Amino acid sequence: MIWRFGLSDSTFEPLISAHWALGVALAAPLLLGLMGAVLPPKRAWPVALGYLPVLVSGVALLCTFEQSGLMRWQWELAGVGVSLRLNGLGVLLLLTTQWIGFAAALYTPGLLRLGETEPLSRWLWPLMGGLLSALSLIWLATDLLTLYVALELMGLAAVGMLILSGKPAALLAGMRYLLLALVGSLAYLLGVALVLGQWGRLDLQGLAEMVEPGPVAWISAALMGAGLALKAALFPLHGWLSPVHGSAWTPVSALHAALVIKASLFLLLQLWSILLTDSFYAPHIIALLGALAIVWGGVLAWRTDSLKTLVASSTVAQLGYLMVVFPLLLSPDISPLSRALAWDGFWLQLIGHAFAKAAMFMAAGNLMLATGEATLKGLAGTSRRMPLSLLVLGIAAVTLMGLPPSAGFTAKWLLLDAMVKSQQWWAIAALLIGSLLTAAYVFRLFRYSFYESAPRHHYQPLAPGMDLIALTLALAAFALGLLAHFPLTLLHEGGA
Amino acid sequence: MIASFDATETVLALCLTGISLVCLYDRHLVRACCFFVAFALTMTTAWWHIGASWLAVVEFLLGALMTGLSLFYALGLFLPRGASPLIRDTFVDVWPRKVARVFLVLGWLVMLGAVIRFAIPGLFNAPLEQPLLLAGIMMIASGLGAFALHRHLVRRLLAFNILGSGVFMVLVGVAGPTATAQALISVGLCIAWLGSMLAALLIQQLVYLAGADSMRGDGDLGERAR
Amino acid sequence: MNAAWLPLTTLLTSLLAAAVIFTLPENARQLRTSANLLAAVGKIILVGLMAVRVSAGHEDTFSFQIVGSVDFVLRADALGVMFAGLSSLLWLCTTVYAIGYLEGSANRKRFFGFFSLCVASTLGIALAGNLFTFLIFYEMLTLSTYPLVVHAGTQKALDAGRIYLRYTLSAGVVLLLGAVLLYALTGEHTFSSEEGLGNYLAHHRGLLLLIFALLVGGLAVKAAMVPLHGWLPRAMVAPAPVSALLHAVAVVKAGAFGILRVIYDLYGIELSVELGVTTALAVMASITIIYGSLRALAQQELKPRLAFSTISQVSYVVLGVSLFGPFGTIGALAHLLHQGLMKVTLFFCAGNYAEELGIHRIDEMDGAGRRMPLTSLAFTIGALGMIGLPPLAGFITKWYLGVGAVQAQMYWVVAVLVASSSLNAMYFLPILHRLWFRTGPAHGQGQWPKEQRLGRLETHGWLLWPMVFTALASLGAGLLAGLPFSPLDWASRVASGEYLP
Repeated sequence: MIWRFGLSDSTFEPLISAHWALGVALAAPLLLGLMGAVLPPKRAWPVALGYLPVLVSGVALLCTFEQSGLMRWQWELAGVGVSLRLNGLGVLLLLTTQWIGFAAALYTPGLLRLGETEPLSRWLWPLMGGLLSALSLIWLATDLLTLYVALELMGLAAVGMLILSGKPAALLAGMRYLLLALVGSLAYLLGVALVLGQWGRLDLQGLAEMVEPGPVAWISAALMGAGLALKAALFPLHGWLSPVHGSAWTPVSALHAALVIKASLFLLLQLWSILLTDSFYAPHIIALLGALAIVWGGVLAWRTDSLKTLVASSTVAQLGYLMVVFPLLLSPDISPLSRALAWDGFWLQLIGHAFAKAAMFMAAGNLMLATGEATLKGLAGTSRRMPLSLLVLGIAAVTLMGLPPSAGFTAKWLLLDAMVKSQQWWAIAALLIGSLLTAAYVFRLFRYSFYESAPRHHYQPLAPGMDLIALTLALAAFALGLLAHFPLTLLHEGGA
Repeated sequence: MIASFDATETVLALCLTGISLVCLYDRHLVRACCFFVAFALTMTTAWWHIGASWLAVVEFLLGALMTGLSLFYALGLFLPRGASPLIRDTFVDVWPRKVARVFLVLGWLVMLGAVIRFAIPGLFNAPLEQPLLLAGIMMIASGLGAFALHRHLVRRLLAFNILGSGVFMVLVGVAGPTATAQALISVGLCIAWLGSMLAALLIQQLVYLAGADSMRGDGDLGERAR
Repeated sequence: MNAAWLPLTTLLTSLLAAAVIFTLPENARQLRTSANLLAAVGKIILVGLMAVRVSAGHEDTFSFQIVGSVDFVLRADALGVMFAGLSSLLWLCTTVYAIGYLEGSANRKRFFGFFSLCVASTLGIALAGNLFTFLIFYEMLTLSTYPLVVHAGTQKALDAGRIYLRYTLSAGVVLLLGAVLLYALTGEHTFSSEEGLGNYLAHHRGLLLLIFALLVGGLAVKAAMVPLHGWLPRAMVAPAPVSALLHAVAVVKAGAFGILRVIYDLYGIELSVELGVTTALAVMASITIIYGSLRALAQQELKPRLAFSTISQVSYVVLGVSLFGPFGTIGALAHLLHQGLMKVTLFFCAGNYAEELGIHRIDEMDGAGRRMPLTSLAFTIGALGMIGLPPLAGFITKWYLGVGAVQAQMYWVVAVLVASSSLNAMYFLPILHRLWFRTGPAHGQGQWPKEQRLGRLETHGWLLWPMVFTALASLGAGLLAGLPFSPLDWASRVASGEYLP
């Protein structure tokens, strides 16, 4: 499991160009965001132009990784070590982050132009930049201190973004999220303290060699796991999620559901695979909670009347799919073949869901902006007036339902294959029931949109490109399903 | 590791515990915030005493000064429209939230107990030998209790800060005042300050939008606002 | 020589048409019509080309790797091309018909876009070279049919859509489970591999049975086999072209075609017989045939009667497969084509009656033969074919099925065939009697429910000619059954491929 995360020595030293690409990938989003605060862009093209270096750095890192394989960076500052690594998984997640961040950034000027002018809107840019930088750091960092810094930066930036819309409900929900996230990070810190006290080091590679199973490893895993689970909104700690999304701006919701939550989950898996090398129960408990999450999230989404709550609750259920895979990845009694399949399926599901959920939030945001209604009933007649937004919502929903030809389907196929091979029947049942529940709430939404009875006359026109950005994201989730071979090859090169 | 029985440490530990308890459970919020500043200053002394001088500086600047200012700002002391902070914290809450909160705290406490049992065997065997560590654990426990009991947003913020200080104390107790530990705690202090500041801004905005009552928690008002 | 582009291009034709239609504005009627017709004609030409290449012994394959051991495979084999030919021919007719039928109504862009997607999915089902690819298009068909079922946007249509999804998506889940179990057991297994699954019989008999039950159970929902048929009559609220092509042909045939693929190309016939599943299938199919006919007899409205007749008729295909013998197979395959032609004709007629005269109930049809002679003639051809009167297409399949049953020494099947034919006669002949021999509004008694003069002839030309064409085709399929490239000839070619290695 360790080699999959690239926690081993590299063959080649990184080149100068790789240093530059890394620096740009980590720092440029934040700097651009600060620039955006000074000179808020009014159109999409300056954003696209400014973001270009970030995209170039991502591609450059991909190319260097293709050439020289795993890369490591290490620095020592006043007795405190900082280390980064670039493996296939890191590249893949970095690219996902950059492109979804690009889509969100492109979407923002149009939204700000159309919505009521908020005095706080210029602060969105530095927060978004900080968030993307912190996310990039999380994918690459390999010591607990750097990870802590990045995790906290991400959390604070996320809270800041979510409350920018400034409505009382958003503020209250944001406050609750903030306090919970802070308490969660204290739990994480206590876990780190135990690790530091026991083994005297924080770099993951060294820990992976030293850690032996024992109470300390279990407790620190539990502490870090609890903190991260709170931040990742894993069932049953998901209560803060829907209210927070309720009145947030669309690109913020998209980024949060697509990436922020996933970062905590990524970290959870990475740390547990180091600390819990032979634990049977912990991953099974997570999987059991995941099965409950699938059902509970599905039911929540099915019962709700608010469009945003539906999309947010579906995140809870989709995270359940990922949680159900934990035993396949961590439990000691799994054959290598099943584990490899589950590994592929896990990341494909995660990335596919990131794209689809971002697209879905944007499509839902477009619909709400255009109709001025936030409920499902307000969608009546939209299938005629706003077919494109609805189509985007549909394409994204196909990925969530796990129907072909989408990343969700290919991922589900891989996961089911792994589960059949390792005889995890109840996990299969959870996955299949989840698909049906997803279909139930998705088509409940569409049912409203097909009503022809609502006479509506005024629709707010959208800025050009708002639908196209969402469509591109949704189609990316589709393409990932059929062309899954390429990203998965990247994953397999992780430990080389 | 913290040295064996030491009079100064015992005094510091007693002070920390006492001040934190007052700070958490005093209903006069301005006074409670003053006590928090005193608490942070005692923490500074404690860091200095165990030889973490950098940490003492950071704690003084960020913990006492900046976080204290944030708390007072949250109470509205710097603004003319500042609401009267002298309110009793009474609230009615729906029972699922109560249950959820109790479980959250119980989970935390169970894990804390496990930490004490397995990771710090010295404390388990001779509890009085490390008074600061004991104080840290007391702070965590009382902070958690306050966090679960209180609805008032400023009081929850206080509870979080005390909880954080307790965790830092335990961290040093477990890992010793090494450079890495100090770096971790500095980052933690920084985050706590940023979080407090963000929360203070949030609370003031909330008071501005929805009146002083909104400070009293997300219970019923949350439902009304939605 | 492998022309990998051929199956891919054929598939892309209608996908591209869908994309173009979705990007065109709602009121670009001319452009949309041309795109539709161009794609339909282009597709027929491509499928014709594939048929020629298949008869010359080529099997064009297009494939690429999706993940690990799973590939995406499109392959033009005889069975696939047969189904592709049926769907693309009927697509052209139905598109023409739908253009006329939806003249002036709302949401035409959405309708034609999803209609093209449906046909693309059907074609994908036909050309799928392994179970995974089949599954992709099978689910795509479910999704793209939903907007067509709820097209009217009324409460009734939305309810029907919900029921439709409940059935088909649950079936999709069952099918997915079966497919995953099969892949986990055997790895990649294309439809073209020769050996079948016989190797696994010794150790995994129970698992093979389970997988078969899951696969066929999932497929039987779309094939509307009793007791999984509940969605089909309700889905009749959709516009007539949808009922004609999708519910009479594409969707139900996709299910039946899937069962054919599972038995012939996945399990192999010998293995299926050895597992004892064919007898069970034959019994299920017989129950469906009789039950569907009985329910059809009880319907008072035209479209539901046709729907229950579809339920009954599609199971002939399954029955033929389960007879285990060349004649049964030929009967089943030919019926796949013949029933498609005849049922489309009948639904076109029902749509014409509804559009021109407002007729929905059977007791309103008195004397319609005089008012709409061509439509009624086409209806008569379709109905008589369904009953199985020589020399119409339906007779040929029933004959082959009967011979197959006798050869397999399953004499009760012959009884089922006879009973079903007489039931068919009992529910179709009264309609014919009303059409031609009763006096009605055309003779000056009473008036039609909602008469419109849609065209110079008895109805709008776009509605009339596709129907005439399919009626003639179903007549010709029976009369000229001996010619090369006739449905029967092609079915025999497929069957000989199965039985003579």
